[in-house]
Amino acid sequence: MSGHNMAAPGFGQHHDPFADLSKYDDDMDALEFEDGYDGLGDQLDETDDALNDDTFGGDEAFASVPVGKDFDFFGATSKVTNAMEEEHARFTRQQPTFKAPVQHAPSAAPAGYGYASHAYPPQIRPARSGYEKYQEPEPELKVDASIWGTAPKQTATPTAQPAPSAPSARKFMSLEEVEASLRAQATRPMVTQPPQAQVHAQQQFQQQQHFRQEPEIQPPQARQPAQAQTGGPHGHPITILQRPSSKHAAPNAPSPLSQQHQPQPQSQSPSVAPTQILQNPNRASGDSGRVPQQPAHRHQKSLNQQVQAMQPGQVGNLSEQDKAAFLEAEVRRAKRNHKIHMLSRDNGLMTPHDKSFITRIQLQQLVSATGDPSEYGTDAALNEDFYYQVHSSLKAAQRPNPNAPLNNFAQTYLFQTGNRHGGMRRHGRGPENHVQRMEQQVQRAVEAAKNKPKNKQLVIEGSLGKISFSNAKTPKPLLNIKRTESGSEANRPPSSQRPVSINDRKVALRAIEDVYMILMKMEDHERTMPPPGANPTPEVQQQVAEWHAVADKLNNQLWDALKIHEQVGPNQVHPFITFLSHPKGKKAVPRVFRVLSHEQRTTILTLIIVHLDQLDVVQGAQVQSGEPINLSAGTRESIELFSMAVMPQLFNLLADAELQIVTAVLGIIIQRLNIDTIARTRIGISMLTMILSRAEIIKQAGVANEQLWQQWAATFNTFFNHLEPTLSYIFPGTVTSGEDIYVWQFLAAIGIGASPDEQQRLVLAVKDRVMDTVAMAKTLPADMGKQRLDNVNLFMRSIGLDVELLQ
Amino acid sequence: MCAPSADERLRNSFFKTLIDNQVTVELKNDIQIRGTLKSVDQYLNIKLDDISVLDDLKYPHLSSVKNVFIRGSVVRYVHLPHNAVDVTLLEDATRREAANQAQKAK
Repeated sequence: MSGHNMAAPGFGQHHDPFADLSKYDDDMDALEFEDGYDGLGDQLDETDDALNDDTFGGDEAFASVPVGKDFDFFGATSKVTNAMEEEHARFTRQQPTFKAPVQHAPSAAPAGYGYASHAYPPQIRPARSGYEKYQEPEPELKVDASIWGTAPKQTATPTAQPAPSAPSARKFMSLEEVEASLRAQATRPMVTQPPQAQVHAQQQFQQQQHFRQEPEIQPPQARQPAQAQTGGPHGHPITILQRPSSKHAAPNAPSPLSQQHQPQPQSQSPSVAPTQILQNPNRASGDSGRVPQQPAHRHQKSLNQQVQAMQPGQVGNLSEQDKAAFLEAEVRRAKRNHKIHMLSRDNGLMTPHDKSFITRIQLQQLVSATGDPSEYGTDAALNEDFYYQVHSSLKAAQRPNPNAPLNNFAQTYLFQTGNRHGGMRRHGRGPENHVQRMEQQVQRAVEAAKNKPKNKQLVIEGSLGKISFSNAKTPKPLLNIKRTESGSEANRPPSSQRPVSINDRKVALRAIEDVYMILMKMEDHERTMPPPGANPTPEVQQQVAEWHAVADKLNNQLWDALKIHEQVGPNQVHPFITFLSHPKGKKAVPRVFRVLSHEQRTTILTLIIVHLDQLDVVQGAQVQSGEPINLSAGTRESIELFSMAVMPQLFNLLADAELQIVTAVLGIIIQRLNIDTIARTRIGISMLTMILSRAEIIKQAGVANEQLWQQWAATFNTFFNHLEPTLSYIFPGTVTSGEDIYVWQFLAAIGIGASPDEQQRLVLAVKDRVMDTVAMAKTLPADMGKQRLDNVNLFMRSIGLDVELLQ
Repeated sequence: MCAPSADERLRNSFFKTLIDNQVTVELKNDIQIRGTLKSVDQYLNIKLDDISVLDDLKYPHLSSVKNVFIRGSVVRYVHLPHNAVDVTLLEDATRREAANQAQKAK
């Protein structure tokens, strides 16, 4: 059949030319199959049948030459068929009442049963709604009935040659005739028979299990008599060859003849036996068992059609109303059958093996795409894919379930696949387990692949060197230098051993990196913090204790790495100040502060205050009043970064500080530092503003006691005295620079806390700058001028004045 | 199955976060192509969608091209959107990779 397009008209239909021979079954005079059959058919040499295409024109011919309409017997006949059907329809409509008896007469069937079905094509006609394609073969049946009265199917089929001869009332065919009819079938029977025969074997099996849900299908027993009766008197002689056709050779056929008839397929000549074994669906297993199913479906279809065609036969006895109802039911059934057919068309195409194979491939792809699911949210995943993991978790910060750590990725894919399967097939535990097993398997495989030591080098015994493997991902290393332990120590001497190198830039950077590494460890550790439980079990308590132990250890490491308590000589810069002099050191401060205790933070604050004049943002960042600001871009950047990264931390710390600490901090500044140096820098001024304003806030809250206040007042007075000479020089640049807002803020902070006497001195010191700014503001556009005046007003208002008064 | 090298992993990790962002790829023949990053592989082959060529008067033949696959070896620069890169995080990621590698070297 290789050369035939199954979809082409005339080739797709499984027409069995010998189908109605069984009608002869009850005609006892007819030849019995055994009598006439010499078993020659089984001895046919079919080995080279594959070459038939070459002989009769196979693929090539069909591929190159389009099939003409000349051989479209089906199409041609169906035209005639349709015309006839229409005639019939007209006729039946005109004379519905006596139509039935008329049609019954020739049939000679006892109950007007079975054959009568062919007499009522018009009743089926209206039932065809949108499913014509499916019911295509129906016209055959009808037309047969109407023309030949007894020869269903055959006239309508393309290979109808034997059919016309059929009604010629000859009872038996000679062997030649049989052969002739066989030849007329050309290549078709040769190929189509085997599947049909298989179907026969399978049909019983299928009827038992597969199509049980189609109750409409009449069991063969019920059908058999009807057909037998139908074909009775007019039967065709080809009975002998009927055997392979499945539908009539159904088991348990009631007629005695067919009972005799029936065992034949199984008890044929021994040469057939192997075929039967193959046909036995119970023996066939796996893939081979599956193959016949397709023909089986196709066959099932024609079977249904037959049933459909037959049942309306009963309609003849019913009233019009009943007929209508019946037909309606018929339509519904047809639709349903069609649907079932469509759905089940591809059933069993894949074996469980195939399915599991596909599933495995898919899972593997998933795993390779998303990584091992088990490692999500674990250190491994973070190590492998840190940036992506964290970045996406940050981006997805507002996702519904914040408890899910970093990854919902694999769950989304791999795990849900399992769930979906489970949900879909609630009945079958099989598939579910299957998928689970698969997942585990894949996981194990991935795990094994990971754990397998990666042999990048092969040392062959007796060879002089190593052979390195390389591939696209890991190119062969040209240099293979292994750093020895001693080497790394030499490269990185502990700073305590060589204090001389403490200012070494490299060492400082290395120290900063160490701090970062510890920070990351701490942050990692934070993620593994055991969840706080309401009533912790001893086990959990143990965990918590262990966690805290590790956390403390890391904290100590960090503290050591910051070198806060490092003792330095008088001419050396403190390592932490060096640390702060690098941009990435400054950037580390917020993260460091987050993980440190309050006490540690206060220590750092003190340290920074003590070494304030050594900070890079103070030391090289003095500005002169009256001169244009000439700070390098690098210094400006440093100042910017410092006020962004470090100042807020210190400010937060100070905001909670007690008055004693504030007083102490200011005291340190007075005692240890050169106020003039500090006050001429932006960072220094900001720091002082911070301290003074904190004191003011405490004062307004009124929580501190008198003694502390006196201490503060004394310190403040000393500070003011120190500051006074510098006051007129703390403004950066000229009046026009417009970068002096922080100075006005500072002055305001002093002004609030100052005594009236001090306020007066303050005004005197900065009077010139105030007047200049006010004068300059008038020359500026309104909004800019107002901004300048507002800045000045910050200070003026703090001492109870206003720029308005000056104008 | 061989683990990709450290910088490869980092690169991969990094570019994964940029997928579906607008990037501009500058090729070694000076063509600059802006488009939505669709995928990047280990060779830094790049797939871009909805592309537009910056100097399209000079390269009119590209004006009707909607998406491109760029071989990694011809890329000179990839201009990244500033706000799609978390610098601090990237620094940390780099440190981790360096640490991982140092561990392996031992």
